[in-house]
Amino acid sequence: EDAAEETNISAELIAHRKRLVDEWNTWRALCEEEISDRKKGKKAERRGEEAKEEIE
Amino acid sequence: MRPILLQGHERALTQIKFNKEGDLLFSCSKDHVINAWFSHNGERLGTYDGHSGAIWTLDVDSQSRFLVSGSADNTLRLWSVQSGKCLYEWEFPTAVKCVAFNETDDQVVCITEQRMGYQGAVRVFNINRDGDGTAQATEPAHMFNPIGSKATVCAFSYVQNRIVTGHMSGKVAIFDYKTGEEVDNNERAHGDEVTDLQMAPDRTYFITSSKDKAARLHQTKDLKVLKTYTTETPLNSAAIAFGKPYILLGGGQEAMKVTTTSLRQGKFETRFWHKIFEDEVGRVKGHFGPVNTIAVSPTGTCYASGGEDGFVRVHHFDQTYFKAKPYGEWEILD
Repeated sequence: EDAAEETNISAELIAHRKRLVDEWNTWRALCEEEISDRKKGKKAERRGEEAKEEIE
Repeated sequence: MRPILLQGHERALTQIKFNKEGDLLFSCSKDHVINAWFSHNGERLGTYDGHSGAIWTLDVDSQSRFLVSGSADNTLRLWSVQSGKCLYEWEFPTAVKCVAFNETDDQVVCITEQRMGYQGAVRVFNINRDGDGTAQATEPAHMFNPIGSKATVCAFSYVQNRIVTGHMSGKVAIFDYKTGEEVDNNERAHGDEVTDLQMAPDRTYFITSSKDKAARLHQTKDLKVLKTYTTETPLNSAAIAFGKPYILLGGGQEAMKVTTTSLRQGKFETRFWHKIFEDEVGRVKGHFGPVNTIAVSPTGTCYASGGEDGFVRVHHFDQTYFKAKPYGEWEILD
């Protein structure tokens, strides 16, 4: 019975850790996306400025 | 994991930093000297002489070209990493407590102390990278005085025009450095002085350590606390490992326990915590006094600690460190 309980606890713990890891990885993926969007945005901004200069 | 002992300082270390490639380590101390070391063998590459007071802080740019340092002699100095020459010197009414480069190496933020009728100030300088680096503007591009608790640590955010700061009261805040406005804060990030603030490589999160014995991981965007690492000793430094999900913490011990611990044992430890599960996973002993500063090489292959004992210890991780999976197989993003 004790042994069964132990496996239960560790299964719970593993499920808990899995949730923490998933939560973290999901958030990191979002951050990466945000960073790459920002970089793209900056590039576009710079291209826009260059185009403006040419017009002038 | 046999450490390399770097002996070149005569007084307590205040800050250490690796360059981007991780082959060089820079250290500053209360002994007025900055040293540069080869991290693989601990040989000294050179010194940067000129400060006439304790040096509280330093940072190196991502090209290993310029070094900045801040001191109790009330100056902020810009150095050539390669030649060791001081390229420029800014003088203030009070000591410089924290300096940091931005991501693109063209700006430096610094905090000067609140003292003798002078308010604490945050200044952002534009760094002119043309020529030999000696043609710098005397005046800061931006300056403001944070109201309330004085700022102790700072770094540039990944968000434009923003810096994050840690304060004496335990507050962590975001400032718009152009307007000086406090955009966001977490008054209760810590219960006591924030002693260190280190950014993750992409600056989307950062770690703080505090005298309140805890370290915390915060989301840079909105200062949401992601993780907390609670120890039983006041913390002086916290660093984020790369490639492995660990946090490195260093500090002292409670003043009341000092007399009961033998100093000869080298008991002052760097603690490794699991970044995600918030559990302690190991300790590395060695220093004969509190650990004042910790840095992890951006390559993830070694870390260094600087102590109140005047020593810098570089630890190259061995195979067991890279193979160890104390919590089983998890794929965890950096």
